[in-house]
Amino acid sequence: MKPHPFLLALLSVALLHPCAGQAQSAPDGKALFAKNCAACHQADGRGIPGAFPPLAGSPVALGEPAQVATVLLKGRGGMPAFSGSLDDAQIAGVLSYVRASWGNGAAGVSGAEVEALRSALNVPPAGRSRFGNKH
Amino acid sequence: MNGRNPSLTRREFLYRAAAVGGTSLLLNTMNAWGMGIASRVSAPPALSGSGKGKKVVILGAGLAGLTAAYELGKLGYQVQVLEARAFAGGRCQTARKGFALEELGGETQHCGYDEGHYLNHGPWRIPLDHQSTLYYTRLFDVPLEVMVNDNDHAYVYLEDAGPLSKQRLRGAQIKADMRGHVAELLAKSVKDHQLDTRLGRDDQALLLDYLVNEGALGSGDLAYKGRNGRGFAVNPGAGLSPGPGKASDPLAFGDLLAAKVGKVYSAVQEFPMHATMFQPVGGMDQIPRAFARRIGKTIRYNTVVERIRQAPDGVTIGCRDGVSGKLSTIRADYCLCTMPLSVLRMVDTDFSERFKAAVQAVPYSPVGKIGLQMKRRFWEEDEQIYGGHVLTDIKGIDTISLPSGGWQQRKGVVLGYYNYSLDAIEVSALTPAERTEFALGAGEKIFPAYRDAFEQSFSVAWHRVRHSLGGWGEWTDETRRSAYPTLLEGEGRVLLAGEHLSYLTGWQAGAIESAWQQIERLHRRASA
Repeated sequence: MKPHPFLLALLSVALLHPCAGQAQSAPDGKALFAKNCAACHQADGRGIPGAFPPLAGSPVALGEPAQVATVLLKGRGGMPAFSGSLDDAQIAGVLSYVRASWGNGAAGVSGAEVEALRSALNVPPAGRSRFGNKH
Repeated sequence: MNGRNPSLTRREFLYRAAAVGGTSLLLNTMNAWGMGIASRVSAPPALSGSGKGKKVVILGAGLAGLTAAYELGKLGYQVQVLEARAFAGGRCQTARKGFALEELGGETQHCGYDEGHYLNHGPWRIPLDHQSTLYYTRLFDVPLEVMVNDNDHAYVYLEDAGPLSKQRLRGAQIKADMRGHVAELLAKSVKDHQLDTRLGRDDQALLLDYLVNEGALGSGDLAYKGRNGRGFAVNPGAGLSPGPGKASDPLAFGDLLAAKVGKVYSAVQEFPMHATMFQPVGGMDQIPRAFARRIGKTIRYNTVVERIRQAPDGVTIGCRDGVSGKLSTIRADYCLCTMPLSVLRMVDTDFSERFKAAVQAVPYSPVGKIGLQMKRRFWEEDEQIYGGHVLTDIKGIDTISLPSGGWQQRKGVVLGYYNYSLDAIEVSALTPAERTEFALGAGEKIFPAYRDAFEQSFSVAWHRVRHSLGGWGEWTDETRRSAYPTLLEGEGRVLLAGEHLSYLTGWQAGAIESAWQQIERLHRRASA
């Protein structure tokens, strides 16, 4: 019997994520992307010239996992940090989606990697503060 | 650094300022240089000499660019402002009938509010602490009105507040009851000698006297049983009914503690959020309009900066006409770049790698607002709320704000959400129609009439607005150390200014005061 493509995908995710099996429920990278990233980088990952860099074929997005995860944890060049609202598994999930979509073919990122990085960079854990009044 | 000793120059100048203008000019000058006794900068720097024969190109006609153009023009500099948009103000914008806004990757919205109604979708408040902004509104005769920034009669509606979740509470109830309960606890502790080691007998008596008044406690039993400031169950009136009215019962201390209402206090009590808060009559864009009336001929609109090049003797700016697409270059002796760093980082420059890295280092805050035109002022008519903010923890909403003017008129524009950071990103992924639905779905939990009264909306997601790409620069302690000094210093003949080069990020005062500081630096370099 030919394995179902969905099962293959699941299997590859499991292989790429050493902790995927232990996680309560693996975050949906695509949904996280639509919610957190697509407003600027666009659903097709092509960005908007002069404003938002493309993620399809992006050397940063496809580069060292630690480097690209740092961008999400600390923000970079106009992009805010996502460390406050996305936890390590979610950051790993959305990064893995980006690195495997629109023709991108880089390996996924694990929650453990992001967790280690967060601790190394001294970035506080994601919080849920919902009360603000600025400017 | 230009090699001169600025402190000597300053000291000389201050002696002269005191001799000519007395202490007030001296203090003004010192304040303007950030070295004064007063805690804030309230006037532009008093600069000596002249800029005659020198040309300065200013990139951006936001508050920083406008301030610099106005002040440098007075000094005799030949000033040319390049502005990408068709109007002045930068992020200081007001949406009213006819205003259109395109979001990158989204729809162009056309504001269709009724005549006289508007939304300040950029800056919307001027605190008393921002004497720099108030300096220009006074100088240019921009009429102000009070912006109701703190209204204890407005609702607090929390979804994550334990036993007080999903209740419409008045700010005044929470504050009166917490004060009362805490005062009672403390007073009884005094009475029970639990503070004897901390307070002498006389001070204990004085503290009890204070607490009885502060917390509205019974003078005998020291108990808090409510106070009329929290509101009546039935308001007093004429005759026997309602007559004296009926007092209301306080919220339970335990419930208030479990609701963690401390955050209600911090929402507007902090600097610079206290009263008095102002807004220009008719919209915040009255400020850039007032500037533009005075220096309008120096502003070249629809001019998008694409390239910055420096030579030992000048700066060349390459730009594109936003309408015709025609390319042109402008030469000047100096350049003051007030473009947001989020935009500047996309410009082709010959800055050093170190300077480019500093420009890159600063993320910009995603910010969203929506203005909902309501056909009926239900918040005034049904709930007796006149201006101010409904505080809520509903995700992505933060604040629902009610208009500070047009009292008792028929219609009004309600700020349906004011979100930042990741909430702003999530909401910005929605279409304008979906954003409206999101705002209505939240607002109707608090106001039953919300959805029925709704007529039309206008929303913004600043991170998706071309030429802005974000609400304001977001600094960390680390970037303040690593990038901030580099950016403040500028490079060669290019200096930067804007809210991002201040500790008043996101405020117009930050833009103005940064411009004041940087034109002094520019003038010093140009005069060297």
